[in-house]
Amino acid sequence: MTSNDQARSLFRVVARQELVELWRGPKGLTVLFAYSGLLAALAYMASADAGLNLLDARESVGIIAQTGVALGALTALVVSADAVSGERERGTLESLLVTPVTKRELVLGKLVASTSMWVAALGVAVPFVVVMARGPGVAIDALVVLVVTGTLVSAALTALGLAISSVAMSNRASIASAMAAMLLLATPSQLPSVTADGVIGNVLIRANPVSAGLKLANEVLVAQRSWASQWTFLLAPAVAAILFTAVAIAAAGRIELGASR
Amino acid sequence: MVGQSAGIVCQGLRVAYGGVVAVDDVSFRVAAGEVFGLLGPNGAGKTSTIRALTTIVAPTAGVAEVGGIPVSDHGRVRRRIGVLPESNGYPGAQTGLGYLCFYGQLFGISRDEAARRAGDLLSRMGLGENARPIATYSRGMRQRLGLCRAMINDPDVLFLDEPTLGLDPAGKKDILAELVDAAATRGAAVLLCTHLLDEVERVCDRVAILAGGVSLAEGTVAEVIARAGVGGVARVTVDPADTPAATAAIAAELPVSGVRYDNTHPGRLEVDQPTEAEENRLLAVLLAAGVQVRSFELDRASLDDAFLALTAGLDLRAEEAA
Repeated sequence: MTSNDQARSLFRVVARQELVELWRGPKGLTVLFAYSGLLAALAYMASADAGLNLLDARESVGIIAQTGVALGALTALVVSADAVSGERERGTLESLLVTPVTKRELVLGKLVASTSMWVAALGVAVPFVVVMARGPGVAIDALVVLVVTGTLVSAALTALGLAISSVAMSNRASIASAMAAMLLLATPSQLPSVTADGVIGNVLIRANPVSAGLKLANEVLVAQRSWASQWTFLLAPAVAAILFTAVAIAAAGRIELGASR
Repeated sequence: MVGQSAGIVCQGLRVAYGGVVAVDDVSFRVAAGEVFGLLGPNGAGKTSTIRALTTIVAPTAGVAEVGGIPVSDHGRVRRRIGVLPESNGYPGAQTGLGYLCFYGQLFGISRDEAARRAGDLLSRMGLGENARPIATYSRGMRQRLGLCRAMINDPDVLFLDEPTLGLDPAGKKDILAELVDAAATRGAAVLLCTHLLDEVERVCDRVAILAGGVSLAEGTVAEVIARAGVGGVARVTVDPADTPAATAAIAAELPVSGVRYDNTHPGRLEVDQPTEAEENRLLAVLLAAGVQVRSFELDRASLDDAFLALTAGLDLRAEEAA
């Protein structure tokens, strides 16, 4: 076995183990259950409003798709923000660091496991979106928004969470920082329409992976604009996914146990 | 390269975290098949020494080799070592078998072979029947599982930081027997960190005492006790009528530092013994003086005494310097 083969194999071993821990333990299922509950409650309210003509059916689909993307990415972010700092806090990191697995392989394996959180969230969100989108006839668009936008936004946030977790010296600091970053990224999507339509507002939204993804969902599903005219909103999530993954891999080298005599 | 030792070579090791020096100029060697005790009070630098030798932290200065490989060669060193850290955690949802298989695979062992080795180790440690999650294990079972994990790759060098902490006497005995066996039958070099000095006296071939990041003494247990300058006590019971003669003979013939009388037991003396060589001589002097000796009991200096003497001296020096 060459060293490259072994590296690939160790990365797979870590990924498999992380997946087992995430889904056989309580963490993954608890987070997924909370995600499902929130999405179900929101879908019920949106459907009820649409039924009472308080909300356009397309707007209901837009809300569910946007929430599915944002909350799904948030679940992956929470799991990845716990990935390294949690190991350190639970006293399991040192045992891993004295094995032949490199820090980079460790982080890549954890990245795969954390990404599975989004895949599971996607599995939960798809039926909600498809059922609600059948009425206004935007099921395909809603699915594409969910899969493409959600995957890119989640990939970016998962990598960001992992990078934070690698350098944070406590799990609490890691999760708090990751949540703060998520709130900061989501802020431009809440700008009043007057500001959002201006030059600065437009730049803020387009440059930010979360707000750009949510804006794309709104433009395609609610405003009925074509993909051809709106695809540029995918640039920020795609660039962020690549950039944050590179940052997470680079931050792997800074994983430390903390000082001890 | 310092040498081709199959164990541990540590020469002038220095570990600093920023401006804080945790280990300064520490030197020792551990040969293959040897159990070496690394002792010291809290904050002595034991864990930092282990972390430097196990590639977790980079030494700031000095030479550190494990299995003949410099610790800067992380990959090769890690393949040859087994480590049980002090505050080791475990994934509660996993079974012991699954946990060991995972670690086996991290050492490049195939899944089937890792499962076979894991099964063997679990049986040997009395954990063979446990297919339940680690969360349900007792502390002793977890420590034994940790030792299994440290041995899953059949390491040349074992680093064990407080492996018997919190265990009952039977658990301690099992763990110590296992590490002695690893050294004796497999030829592994074992570095044992513990506060329990009676354990060290029982199982370690040699020891080093650290305090404040520096090495105070290193050698066999007897050598360290001698270096600490602590002696044992001889308890002698003579005929009460012979007490003055016994005292006079001891004072005249032996360079002992003190003789004490036990007022509750007439005829009983406690004689400080600076060295083991004077034990037989004490008895000979008493007999030659015509003293009727009724009992003679030796309480030799222990590693505990040496440890306290060495570390207390350091505290005094620090206080004086302040």
